[in-house]
Amino acid sequence: MAGESVNVDQWRTRIYRYRLLGGRCRECGRAFYPPLPKCPYCSSEDVEEVRLPRQGKLVSYTILYSVEEGARRESPVIVGLVDLGVARVVSEIVDAEPGTLKSGMAVEAVFRRLYEEGDEGVIVYGVKFRPAPENTS
Amino acid sequence: MDVGVSAAGLVKVDRHYSKSLYDLAGEAVDDALRDSGRNSIDYLVVSTVVSRALTPQLDIASYMASHLGLRRARVLSVEAGEASGLAALQAAFHLALGGNRVLVVGVDKLSDAPSHRVYRVLKHVYYRYSDGFHAIGHAAVAGLLARMYMERYGVSREVLAAWPVQMHMHAKSNPYAMLRFAVKPESVLKAMPVAEPLTLLDSFPLGDGAAALLVEPDGGMAGISAVESAVGPLSVAVADDPLRLEAVGEAWRRAAGDGAVVDVFEVHDSYTIFGLLILEELRLAERGKAAERVAEGDFTTGGSGPLVNPSGGLKARGHPVGATGVYMAAEVAMQLSGTFPGISVPEAKRGAAVSINGHGSSAYVALFTRRG
Repeated sequence: MAGESVNVDQWRTRIYRYRLLGGRCRECGRAFYPPLPKCPYCSSEDVEEVRLPRQGKLVSYTILYSVEEGARRESPVIVGLVDLGVARVVSEIVDAEPGTLKSGMAVEAVFRRLYEEGDEGVIVYGVKFRPAPENTS
Repeated sequence: MDVGVSAAGLVKVDRHYSKSLYDLAGEAVDDALRDSGRNSIDYLVVSTVVSRALTPQLDIASYMASHLGLRRARVLSVEAGEASGLAALQAAFHLALGGNRVLVVGVDKLSDAPSHRVYRVLKHVYYRYSDGFHAIGHAAVAGLLARMYMERYGVSREVLAAWPVQMHMHAKSNPYAMLRFAVKPESVLKAMPVAEPLTLLDSFPLGDGAAALLVEPDGGMAGISAVESAVGPLSVAVADDPLRLEAVGEAWRRAAGDGAVVDVFEVHDSYTIFGLLILEELRLAERGKAAERVAEGDFTTGGSGPLVNPSGGLKARGHPVGATGVYMAAEVAMQLSGTFPGISVPEAKRGAAVSINGHGSSAYVALFTRRG
């Protein structure tokens, strides 16, 4: 979304982006991110919004070198697939040296800047993940 | 009703700075319609993707018809991200089943803007309201899947390099390919990292291209037995297994059932990992074994498997996004009619093109048969 002016879009999605809200299907029992009106697994309409766990495990990750405008101050960016137990999310991994990352390590959610829209645009926030303290203890 | 391809035309994928979208489309159509009249074309189906964002033009298919001298045709534009070309062919196939003579044109220009603008457009192949919140670019999902693949199956980075090495080898003899030179496995590993563990040589070059196919009842160049598709998960995060391309498997079953034996494939390899995962989803290789099988030469001339990507694939032929699926279909039809000018399978009886968008949010499969 970076590099474009879609402010209403960003405003409309702020709550679930800030709070890591997902959906849970009452029929098949599975949870997912983002919240959707129909279950992405069984297509049931009987879904509820739930807070997803803020602790998880890093399934896999990559270090991305070609970073889009608006997020370049963070370049290179680490992008991970995080398993929250009930659901998985694709998210940026922060506060980590790439060399210290390992698949399977514990990570936790943290509120961060996602990107900036130029000098006069908004700064868009959301959840990223960082290595959990237990990794260093 | 029997439907087939009756003509195909291609432009070399390259940086065609001096040519417009319409110029390139015109060249591919002229190449396809050398011997056929234009007045009898009922439908023009256009596929273009990146040009929509870099040089916006609404109702592109109508303007394209005027440029191509096809004012008498009905027109339609199809968009399915990176799979657009085969999605356009799916529309054309059904129109032809209804008795129509259909011209499919896939065309795109990626060299009309600096590469960072092109990649900003390509990020939109991923879902905007989850993965797309983050700076994932076009490559990050491929990178994290590649690492997952290596760790789960114990496959080394060197073995993964077999894919680009083979694609470049094939492209050397394809006059329509953008990158017609060989690369060594060590150059793949040493190239600029794009999304670790993947490097620049695991991904496609940014080039312009156009391909045209004439599809009609009884088309004599190659028969089309099916063009099928399926919807996949909206993110790798909601896939049951991120290393399975569910949509490819489903589209393949819909197109081929369980029994089809295919001699030649063109598959979507925007990044090394997707080429390998498609081979595994098509059961041409066991899970975790595709890279090894490629390294052993199973999918090239003289190998034990079918010939895969004789064009050089997206990797080396190039990936002019809206045109790519039409290139794949044209190349397979040329293989079956014995007119492909590069590496080929003599007397190939069946061929297939397999395309996906992004991580496999959708998949398209086209199955072709030899005439006569």
